[in-house]
Amino acid sequence: MSQMIGLLEVLEDFNGRVDVAKVADDLLLELDDLLPAVDAAELLGFLKVDSGDLILTDEGKRFLSRGSSGRKRMLNRILSKTPIFKFVITFIKQHEEAETTKDDVIDFIRREMPDLEAETTFRWLVEWGRYALLLRYDSNSGKIKVVQPTTAQPTASQEGKPQ
Amino acid sequence: MTPVIELRNVTKAFGSGTARPNAVLEQINLSIEGHEFASIVGPSGCGKSTLLRIMMGLTTPTDGEVYYRGKPVKDVIEGMAMVFQTFALFPWLTVLQNIEIGLQGRKISDDAKRKRSLKLVEIMGLEGFEEAYPRELSGGMKQRVGLARALVSDPEVLLMDEPFSSLDPLTATHLREEVLDLWLNPEVSPGSVVMVTHNVEEAVYMADRIIVLTHRPGTIIKEVHIDLPRPRNPRSPELYRVVDEITGMIA
Repeated sequence: MSQMIGLLEVLEDFNGRVDVAKVADDLLLELDDLLPAVDAAELLGFLKVDSGDLILTDEGKRFLSRGSSGRKRMLNRILSKTPIFKFVITFIKQHEEAETTKDDVIDFIRREMPDLEAETTFRWLVEWGRYALLLRYDSNSGKIKVVQPTTAQPTASQEGKPQ
Repeated sequence: MTPVIELRNVTKAFGSGTARPNAVLEQINLSIEGHEFASIVGPSGCGKSTLLRIMMGLTTPTDGEVYYRGKPVKDVIEGMAMVFQTFALFPWLTVLQNIEIGLQGRKISDDAKRKRSLKLVEIMGLEGFEEAYPRELSGGMKQRVGLARALVSDPEVLLMDEPFSSLDPLTATHLREEVLDLWLNPEVSPGSVVMVTHNVEEAVYMADRIIVLTHRPGTIIKEVHIDLPRPRNPRSPELYRVVDEITGMIA
């Protein structure tokens, strides 16, 4: 999450378009270390990759211009439309109070998405789901819950970037 | 105007009174003004962190005086808060509880503490992570909690000891931006920030004034005012010129 936002900010410093090798070089990073952030940003539509160049999209610029509540709102909207979140959220919602356990979700991922590493995917879902106010997870009880839309939407007054 | 913090002839030596006292800091004269972002840079082992601890009243100098708003410092100062390189969060407490620790000892109701802590959760973008434990967080998120815990007490001075050094470069880029935003945000802004770093680029990008220390025993060799307009581009030639100048003094 923080890595992805950092990458978008670096792109902004380079006026929105830069060679991926130059970014790695500039940050003293291996290309491999950069890829998770590139993948995440691409999945969310915040950047495009074009023959080795990373390009900040308009959606990416919009994301950067928002304060933290506004960013959460955007991610809430975007992530809830991605196939994996849709799939998992629908599954959790089938349970009473839209709440189930970690083990249950892990079993579901193993069964329905056998190509994915279940534990890693679960951690990823929890991290992004928490940030975007889509999921709540209590690691003590192992309970995971879908946030209902009424509590997921920060009020408009909190949206501006605090300056 | 009285400086917020003033150090006069401060010396710190470990094993003083023995035949070979080990001097860490020598003859430090330094003032921190209200509304400034100061950065202390120098090679490792130059006593930067010790200097920060002396400012906060966590360590007493061997010699010399420390003043906070013109009064001699005798104890840990309430108006200051510290952010650590290693985050220093309690692993058995949730994010929200870790932030509330920053208000420990304050004479306000539990309700007021909760309310203020939730405000910081919102400002630091930690909504959704209130019930999470530090082990579940990335480094960037942990340092957000560290910042929230420091800022929850509304400090006049925020002290930061290598706050971005244990983060990966992308996360560090992002958090530097966040800290500059916080400093300009009237809702939380500490009047002054003092940041210790070994990263000269980071200091030039963020600070109004840089205090350059030499190797052990640490003494101030130069103070550099950074007049580059904000927001700064970390990759501009103007910025690099200053970075080169300061790096030359340390190397």
